[in-house]
Amino acid sequence: MSLVEDPKGYWTDLTVAEKGVTAGVVLFAGALLVSLLTGGLTPTYFLYLVGIAGMYALLSLGLNSQWGFSGLINFSVAAFFGIGAYGTALASASGSPIAGGLPPVVGLLAALALAAILALFIGIPTLRLRADYLAIASIGLAEVVRLIVLNQDDWTNGSAGVRGIPSFFDGWPVLGTFPETMPTLVFGSGPGATVLSTSFWQALSNVALVLAFVGVSYLVLRRAHRSPWGRVLRTIRSDEDLARALGKNTYSFKMQSFVLGSLIMALAGVFYAHLNLYVSPGDLDPITTFYVWVAVILGGSGSNRGALFGGVVIVAIQEGTRALPLDAAPIRLLAIGVIIVLLMRFRPQGVLPPQRELIWPGTVDETPQQPDSGVRETKAGEK
Amino acid sequence: MVLDQLASGLVYSSIIVLGSIGLSLVYSIANFANFAHGDTMTIGAYTSLVTFGAIGGLGGTVLGLPFGFFVALVAGIAMAALVAVVTEKVVYDGMDLDSIGLLIASIGLAFIYRSVVQLGFGAQSTRYGIQSLRPIEALVPYGIRVTQHDVAIVVSAAALVTGLHVLLQYSDLGRKMRAMADNPDLARVSGIRTDRIKLWTWVIGAGLAGAGGAFLGLYSQLTPRMGFNLLLLIFAAVILGGIGSVYGAMLGGFLIGMINQLTPLLSDIGIPIGIEYANAIAFVIMVVVLLFRPSGIAGEAS
Repeated sequence: MSLVEDPKGYWTDLTVAEKGVTAGVVLFAGALLVSLLTGGLTPTYFLYLVGIAGMYALLSLGLNSQWGFSGLINFSVAAFFGIGAYGTALASASGSPIAGGLPPVVGLLAALALAAILALFIGIPTLRLRADYLAIASIGLAEVVRLIVLNQDDWTNGSAGVRGIPSFFDGWPVLGTFPETMPTLVFGSGPGATVLSTSFWQALSNVALVLAFVGVSYLVLRRAHRSPWGRVLRTIRSDEDLARALGKNTYSFKMQSFVLGSLIMALAGVFYAHLNLYVSPGDLDPITTFYVWVAVILGGSGSNRGALFGGVVIVAIQEGTRALPLDAAPIRLLAIGVIIVLLMRFRPQGVLPPQRELIWPGTVDETPQQPDSGVRETKAGEK
Repeated sequence: MVLDQLASGLVYSSIIVLGSIGLSLVYSIANFANFAHGDTMTIGAYTSLVTFGAIGGLGGTVLGLPFGFFVALVAGIAMAALVAVVTEKVVYDGMDLDSIGLLIASIGLAFIYRSVVQLGFGAQSTRYGIQSLRPIEALVPYGIRVTQHDVAIVVSAAALVTGLHVLLQYSDLGRKMRAMADNPDLARVSGIRTDRIKLWTWVIGAGLAGAGGAFLGLYSQLTPRMGFNLLLLIFAAVILGGIGSVYGAMLGGFLIGMINQLTPLLSDIGIPIGIEYANAIAFVIMVVVLLFRPSGIAGEAS
């Protein structure tokens, strides 16, 4: 049942939570549009927020493919995010202490390679552990990674961070010079005029980049989740002994899902480095891990669209608290804490738990009432 | 040099032991990894700060610490225990979750505790209004630089741990707690009111954490992140000692504290690992223990 053919039927088909979220998203988008039009939010900053939301959505998709698909409690999200950001920064930045000056695409590949190595390095010892031990071990190893990044000055510049990261499209045929070649547009006049200058076009190209990352990851994960491979992961999540009894090498499947998720997290890090143009060890702070966890359990563990939704909510919390007159950091922390506790108390499955997205499309509506052959029209004994 | 590091290791160990006992008790009786335990320590520390600020020194001193500090310490213990009991009643009690769900909920609680402290006191560090002391003169010739405050921390921690030992071994409550840690269902059918024992576990565990937090504030300084920063070291101690074993937690806490403070010796004997990796060493030990002996050094091998 698609939205275009039958909007009314589509709406009545949704669960209460889905209706609520849809209404909330529409209201939120409306509020953003109003503040954009009234000048409360500049277009450039709005695009920056879209970029950050995309980044959190990527991180959530990555964690979802570990926790949501196969039930791995990975508390080292920040380490993979950081290794992605540092990987591309060290390869492409002018201020890099080891390589530097390479094209950002090389940085992307370097970051993904580093993340895959780190995933194996963390995964090989820890994925055999019991669920709660995995949580503790992974956060411990993430701290080890952070301490190495902080203290190995000769590789990472230490606490000074890495400066001089180019934008991702730097050196590309058309996109590389796109922000500079676009004209400066002015809407309205006087001090309230909206000016779309180079920084706006720069932000626009960043948003295009993150949308591409999110889109590709989303499609890959959706396909993977429905595939036989995804079914094995879901079996592992609900009963690992059962999966093993069915002859599946659960350790290998868990490792594949761990590496896949880690690569997506590193992708978020790559985007962040080219958005912020500066990375520092502070980006590996464990708080990032918990933000992403909130996004995933808020959206609904195992649900990819839930992960997207959770990512947007995190950015709304982060930026919404900025407007308050109080110190934003503790308020943000309080909001995150309260959300976690309320969710676990009242709705541990999340706001948008997986519904139809686990079912191959077409199998519901088009299933015949009875098989084509092998079924008699009348039962034995009936006339 | 070595003697000095052993001495400061002993002081740091005392604080970690106080934290790890509570974490281990809760792990075995409530059956989840409590990530809010570190922030319970922070609550104890800040309650002591407020109480000490309100009542002052109250005249005399013991080991360089005013009487008022000990009153503040008791207040910190009481507040940490109270917060834990209220949390158990309000939050955990109504949850129908497995140990992973409780673990995630405890992270939320950790953030709530920390943010409340930060809202009240700001993110910057602060200290008790107690004059810091010079090292004890008599020990300086041996290269040991410890203050009377450090001695007070070790003595108080030893007293608390001894008290816990007596409680666990010789009191009715202690026997019931051990029974419940061993097998909760069997304890319940034997007529033990497990809910009540669980509450007492929270009181004892959080109380010791509160004391550890108050001493941590005396040892270094108070920041809203102090407990969270120590939490992973405490986990390392609990896992090294063996989850669920109180005596294992004591031993693990002692070892982790010692290793942490003895890290400078590595460079002395030619291993190029500086003190900036002191915590990393503890985390690696933790992972290695989880891999090869998940029952810890004091637990029974399974």
